[in-house]
Amino acid sequence: MFESAFAQLRYAASVLFAVPFDLRSLDRLVDGILATKQEFGSLGADSAEFLGGPELDEETRRDVQIRRFRKQAVRAAEETDYYSSQFTTLGVDPSRLTFEDIARIPVTPKKALLNNPDAFVRRGSNPAFRTTTTGTTGKPTSVYFTAREIQATGLLAAISFLQSGQITPEDIVQISTSSRATLGNTCFSQAVQRIGAVWYQTGLVDPAQALALLSESHHLPGKKNRASFLNTYASYLGELVECGLNSGYSPKDFGVDHISVGGEIVTEGLKRRCRKLFGSVEFIQSYAMTETWPFGATFCEEGHLHFEPSQGLLEIVDPDTAQPGKPGQTGTMVVTPFAPYREASVVLRYDTEDLVQPVFGPLGCSLKHWTATTDLLGKLRLAIRTANGWVYPRQIREALESLEEVPLPARCGFWAIEGGVAVEVAVRKIDSSIRNRIGQSLEERGVPVCELYLEEDPSQLQHQLPLRCDLREILFERSVIKL
Amino acid sequence: MVLASIVVLFHVVTSVILAWLYFRRYTMTRPPIGVFNLGDVAVMLVMVILVPLLYLMLPIWMVIVLLTLAGLSILYFTWEPVLKSSWFIWLVTLVLAGADLFTALAPDINPVWFLAINNIVMLISVVGVTNLWAQSGMKARHAAILGAALAVYDLIATSLLPLMNDLFARLDGLPFAPTIAWPINAAGPWLGIGLGDLVLTAVFPLVMRKAFGRMAGIFAMAFGLGAIGLLILSVLFGFVEIFPVMVVLGPLMVCQYAYWIQRRPERTTWQYLQAEPTK
Repeated sequence: MFESAFAQLRYAASVLFAVPFDLRSLDRLVDGILATKQEFGSLGADSAEFLGGPELDEETRRDVQIRRFRKQAVRAAEETDYYSSQFTTLGVDPSRLTFEDIARIPVTPKKALLNNPDAFVRRGSNPAFRTTTTGTTGKPTSVYFTAREIQATGLLAAISFLQSGQITPEDIVQISTSSRATLGNTCFSQAVQRIGAVWYQTGLVDPAQALALLSESHHLPGKKNRASFLNTYASYLGELVECGLNSGYSPKDFGVDHISVGGEIVTEGLKRRCRKLFGSVEFIQSYAMTETWPFGATFCEEGHLHFEPSQGLLEIVDPDTAQPGKPGQTGTMVVTPFAPYREASVVLRYDTEDLVQPVFGPLGCSLKHWTATTDLLGKLRLAIRTANGWVYPRQIREALESLEEVPLPARCGFWAIEGGVAVEVAVRKIDSSIRNRIGQSLEERGVPVCELYLEEDPSQLQHQLPLRCDLREILFERSVIKL
Repeated sequence: MVLASIVVLFHVVTSVILAWLYFRRYTMTRPPIGVFNLGDVAVMLVMVILVPLLYLMLPIWMVIVLLTLAGLSILYFTWEPVLKSSWFIWLVTLVLAGADLFTALAPDINPVWFLAINNIVMLISVVGVTNLWAQSGMKARHAAILGAALAVYDLIATSLLPLMNDLFARLDGLPFAPTIAWPINAAGPWLGIGLGDLVLTAVFPLVMRKAFGRMAGIFAMAFGLGAIGLLILSVLFGFVEIFPVMVVLGPLMVCQYAYWIQRRPERTTWQYLQAEPTK
């Protein structure tokens, strides 16, 4: 108890004063949580508040965030090549920034990090790990991390999973993400390992192979008898659902109770259809990206994305004016991760290009004291502006994946035409009733569809949106699918 | 002497039984993360060694401050799950603490009044401390190890060194003095038992019940109370004047633990509550 108490104090000091995390304390905190759960079956009453950060009023939140932003800006200006020249040009003293001054700092475009990731690394930070994005949107972007950052992130993830009860030592975890997604895979697998669960990485192999592994029976002491936690992308989950249902699998063939799905737009249709294969699973959705890791968002029970304000600053910026958006207006998320969560590569006001709408209070959800947005609407460059407003990838995907006639994941594309948008989609079979149903579904979601093209062969699609499941990894030997 | 024996034994029995009933009826607020472990046993042993020395070295006013702060916090968290309302908890805590301070420090008060009040405060403290330990996940193994180590310490500090004698002489009459005592006669000598001995006597039945079941707890209670009863009789018949209680209690705890652990594995709090849900 004394050890745990000291570890909690040390953790609180890092969260409150932005001093680097002490790995030993984090490790002891994990031990403490494991021991507490083993002894009592649950954590004490105040654990969620303690681990989730303090509840801040608006004034305190702004105060905390501007102090942390200044700290990160000073580091960026003094210790990185990219920002030192930028602050010199701007003539702004980063140590005296006010909240209003933040908008004067230009957003950091993806291109800048893509072209010269080394320029964002702090002098003296001793980077040990270079990770790259999977490159679904073009050339992979690189970001550097210290060994300590990676270890701390793994331990913090373990604490978060244990606290929420999403992963326990009895779990068997299948990671079906790209093997090149080294940052997410490393931190996630470290967390799972530290919790004491079993994990294995399948990569994005043939879905039949992944399903065979998921349905495999195990006889490991102290573990569940089948894979119980699946971590994957939305599109690959769609492939698993499609392949599984076509192959005769049913919920009795699996023991999956949690599916962590992200990296792409997750639709209600996907989740509904997924339950046909896996039964009543709990979906864990979050938002994170390599460039701003580990500052990300958690989904609440009401479907908002929530960002913990002491971990970073989220701004929603009007894509046209690059100024803060108005209430209810869609904008791109511009993100600044703070110390101590981000130490080696510093990014200030990084433009994620992800579109959301801000959500304003009063909120009634469990994370109401964190900054909230709607769920992701899609990438800005994939959204289309029409005379009547924007059309987002989410609208298209939600409309298509809700229909059984459209195989999962929905392979589709859309582009602007006179009076609205044209949509193309791969379907199981082309007929007029399907065309009508798709058209109706799109209209119900506010898509001004003027032309609709159906294809039975996805390779015939001309403007297909990229899907992570297409980062397929090959095997020497094909698995035998259970029928 | 007989009256003093009866009064002390009454308080001992009452505190052990009340701790037992409290354990089944009230849930104390436990820390969000953390379980009582061997590291805590080590810390407690260090404290057991250092605190008496500290009390002997510090100026008396500082000792009173330390004892009062400790007493106040113990009283508060003991009443917390019972009274629930914050102002009511503070009211009861402050009334008890005030009575203890007043009867100890005010001039011309019969010392018997102080002992009567202080005994009640110590009795409540025993209930609180034992439940805090047991409900924080203290295992029977931890209690047995602590008992064994304290047996050695008690032998040295009470029998071989004048430490405990000096300590009780220094704390005699101070508010929140950690003893349950009663005067033998009007001249002033009293019969008493240290708070530490009483805490160990009362906590062991709780952790044994949690670990091995109701019967193990009842046996632990019977053995502990029986041993203290015999020791009080020994004093009553003049066999001993000062005796290191843990020298008897410690080995008894170890023997009971050894007996039960060979028959069944020790339960966690969760397993205990599954098997014996509280109201």
